[in-house]
Amino acid sequence: MPEHLPLDSARDVELGAALREALAMPFGGAFVNRLRARLSRNRPRSWDEELAGWFWQGLVAAVLVTVLAGWGLSRSAAVADESDTGITSVASQLLEGSTPGTNALLASMTSTETP
Amino acid sequence: MTGVDEAKLAGRAGKGDAEAFGALIELHQAMARRVAYAILEDREDADDAAQEGFLSAWKAIARYDPNKAFRPWLMQIVVNAARDLRRRRRVRAAEPLDKISPAARDDPAREAGDLDLGERLRAALATLPERQRLAVVLFDAEGYAQAEIAALLGIPEGTVKSDVFHGRRALRRVLSTVKEEWDA
Repeated sequence: MPEHLPLDSARDVELGAALREALAMPFGGAFVNRLRARLSRNRPRSWDEELAGWFWQGLVAAVLVTVLAGWGLSRSAAVADESDTGITSVASQLLEGSTPGTNALLASMTSTETP
Repeated sequence: MTGVDEAKLAGRAGKGDAEAFGALIELHQAMARRVAYAILEDREDADDAAQEGFLSAWKAIARYDPNKAFRPWLMQIVVNAARDLRRRRRVRAAEPLDKISPAARDDPAREAGDLDLGERLRAALATLPERQRLAVVLFDAEGYAQAEIAALLGIPEGTVKSDVFHGRRALRRVLSTVKEEWDA
């Protein structure tokens, strides 16, 4: 039996045949029949079926994005309202005889400086 | 079966033709089960892994590129399925299977001289690291090119050459011993 070199790319035909025999598995026909029967139950999905599979996930994601965007818009509107009420509250607080807070004062000053 | 036939079958299977994929199973089942057996060292597990591999390939057949060879694509999936199963089994058994020869597992008291060539080769295979075992089986038994094996196992081609050399050396010792016994 010839010794093969480390970088030899020739096949050892005798060893190959012995290995195939040693690793041979019985009942090939039964294996194939069993698998064939399972193929129809595990049918590969076409691209439109694949897309349809993502429909509900896509819909939920779109609804979430819409809700988040709506919440963000309403939140920024609320912040703008708060700064408006801050200006009026300085006057009302002075009228009531109490001392207005620093934030309210600064907000009223900056809003009067801008035209 | 020629390569052209296989490419045609793979093309038809890619369009969802179960009959064509069935023919491909028939064509490659022996090889897929042998390779799974080389990884798992257990016939039932090898059948489970090969079956899992074929079904995964069938589900992913739309992603198969018909311009490339079908056999390495399929074998990659079967090898992955066998390795996954081995990992699961290993976790369950908490014992490295390749440290125990199948012959010793079946009947530890039996002398090596009583075993036939197949049993001795399987016992010798079991002593090899999985990568060496796969490299030598894919190269010498299944006829894959070293570059194909390198791509399949995700290792450099030089490592495949080295694995084949070392794996083969251990197995050829068994072959020589058996031949000497037969000649005596």
